[in-house]
Amino acid sequence: MTWRSWLKLGLLLAPGLGLILVFIGSVVYIAIAQSFGLFSLSGESEFSLEYWSRMFERLTYNRAIGYSLYVGFASAFLAVLFAYPLAVWLRRPFPGSLTISAVLKAPLLVHGLVAAFLYVNIISYHGLVNQIMQGLGIWDGPHRLQNDSRAIGVLILQTWKNMPFALLLLVGSVSAISDDVLDAAADLGAGPFARFRRVIAPLSVSATQAALVIVFVGALADFSFQVIAGPVNKQSLSQLMVFFKGYGRWHDAAVVAVTLMGLGIAGSALLALVSRFILRGGRLS
Amino acid sequence: MKAVSVKNASMHFGDFTAVQDVSFDVGEGEFITLLGPSGCGKTTLLKMISGFLQPSSGIIEIGGKDVTHVPPERRDTAMCFQSYALFPHLSVADNLQFGLKQKRLLTAERKQRLQDVATKLDLTAQLDKLPNQLSGGQQQRVALGRALTMRPSVVLFDEPLSNLDAKLRDSVRMEIRKIQRDYNLAAIYVTHDQGEALAMSDRILIMNNGRIEQAGTPHEIYGTPNTSFVADFIGDANILDAEVIGEEGAGRWRLGTQIGELIAASAAPPVAKTLKVCWRPEKAQFGPGTENTITADITHRAFQGNYTDLFVMIASAPQRVQWRDNAVGLADSLTMHIRPEDIIFLEAIA
Ligand SMILES: Nc1ncnc2c1ncn2[C@@H]1O[C@H](COP(=O)(O)OP(=O)(O)O)[C@@H](O)[C@H]1O
Ligand SMILES: [Mg+2]
Repeated sequence: MTWRSWLKLGLLLAPGLGLILVFIGSVVYIAIAQSFGLFSLSGESEFSLEYWSRMFERLTYNRAIGYSLYVGFASAFLAVLFAYPLAVWLRRPFPGSLTISAVLKAPLLVHGLVAAFLYVNIISYHGLVNQIMQGLGIWDGPHRLQNDSRAIGVLILQTWKNMPFALLLLVGSVSAISDDVLDAAADLGAGPFARFRRVIAPLSVSATQAALVIVFVGALADFSFQVIAGPVNKQSLSQLMVFFKGYGRWHDAAVVAVTLMGLGIAGSALLALVSRFILRGGRLS
Repeated sequence: MKAVSVKNASMHFGDFTAVQDVSFDVGEGEFITLLGPSGCGKTTLLKMISGFLQPSSGIIEIGGKDVTHVPPERRDTAMCFQSYALFPHLSVADNLQFGLKQKRLLTAERKQRLQDVATKLDLTAQLDKLPNQLSGGQQQRVALGRALTMRPSVVLFDEPLSNLDAKLRDSVRMEIRKIQRDYNLAAIYVTHDQGEALAMSDRILIMNNGRIEQAGTPHEIYGTPNTSFVADFIGDANILDAEVIGEEGAGRWRLGTQIGELIAASAAPPVAKTLKVCWRPEKAQFGPGTENTITADITHRAFQGNYTDLFVMIASAPQRVQWRDNAVGLADSLTMHIRPEDIIFLEAIA
């Protein structure tokens, strides 16, 4: 391109990209700077690696990393796992399919906090689940389901909330595959699973990657589900960040925030790569 | 044993009937063409045979076995799609081997068949390319090759040459026929091109509105069409309303038509007293004859190279004549005759 077309492109992008760079960029920059002791809100600003080194020694921090990664990866995996068969099923319209997909998308309209409260109500000690299980005679007495230590509650909520989103992305790319192409695969001997593995999956790599990454980044930084339905003995990174902020420890909070961003990027790249590898049947190109 | 038998197959989409009570057989190594106008149900019928559509009623047999309820992946058919339906994410080589890998063929055998088909279809230089890097003709040949590598007992072709230019069409057509003979495959070939059907087929089934209108060898279909639809669809035909006036000896009838009284000779008697008859434009004989001598006014002429199309008026009925001898062209009228055996009885007029 000539310098003129570069200039034109630059000017066209300036209003949008400029805003993003200035606002997001400055926030990211300040967070990183704060994690190294700069931009202090209370006292002297001085460059220091101390906040990072002390943070690495904290058990709560290291546990929170492991826990948040677990929630992030598991949620991304589960959301896509449930969305895929639905996307294949809803690929072509059939009587009632519109209603079904509308109902499936309902979680998009319910705020996460509301959903978490509803969920906690249902599984509480005298909640619906306990009553049904006892009513059916499967359980003798009420079980404690709330805030379970393996964060199953959080995973259920994350999956419930994110699955419709993954579905939206996947339906788009799965319905773009022509009937003839799938018929051709069947004609050449591919049964339903082989059709999925050899045709549908490789042709929807990009959508799957997008779904995995977006769900992962959201769930990695989960706060509201964790606070209401999460295990009481574990903290997510967001929780830890809010905790530090609550005590006015801005530099520590910034370290956790930068950690979240770093993990978000690294985890996304990993997910994108691995999913591509798997869906392409063991090839990257 | 029959390679394929279709027995009373019908296909309804809601209120619409796409295929109605169709029955036919395909012998081993036989090349059958389904010929008919667009929308007459050809693709639907192929999809019923390959298993993508469940017939609303009727039975499909392949190799003597009832496969009506067998899914497509377990039927020994291979289809060459009208839209090619190549796998966009796979190279030409992987497209060609898709079915062979699914069959878990030994690598050596697979490579052998790949080489074989790539050579036959002139695709060796394209094996590493993706489908969107190929020309239409090359994509077409990949689609063809992908079906042929399977060596199924039946190959189904859905208008496979419709997107090729005329030259390429001729050569691919011959190649298809050759491969089909080499492997002794039964083939069902769908086309709306009558020239293609006449040139390629052992047998032609003419379809119209979801039914088989007539079945026969290319010669039978062209020489003795049963209905005006068939007569008009295959080749050119002058179709007339006729009334049988009387029988003139064995197998000869006197007819009253718009172009005057004619004598027709036919092994089969007319189906009704009033019926459609036709004669082919190239059957017109120059000069007067002992019977059916006609004088025609020439209204328009179109030089076609090896013959001239003459549009003529005979007693105010427009007819078409093909004249081999181009020199005749300049007169305003001509005298000709139609031999009685060239007048063909068609369906009754209701
Ligand atoms: N899935 C379908 N639903 C409703 N109508 C269909 C469907 N498939 C085909 N048809 C109709 O059936 C008729 C025959 O179609 P088709 O077999 O594709 O014709 P051809 O291949 O001879 O051109 C057409 O009128 C078409 O619109
Ligand atoms: Mg068709």
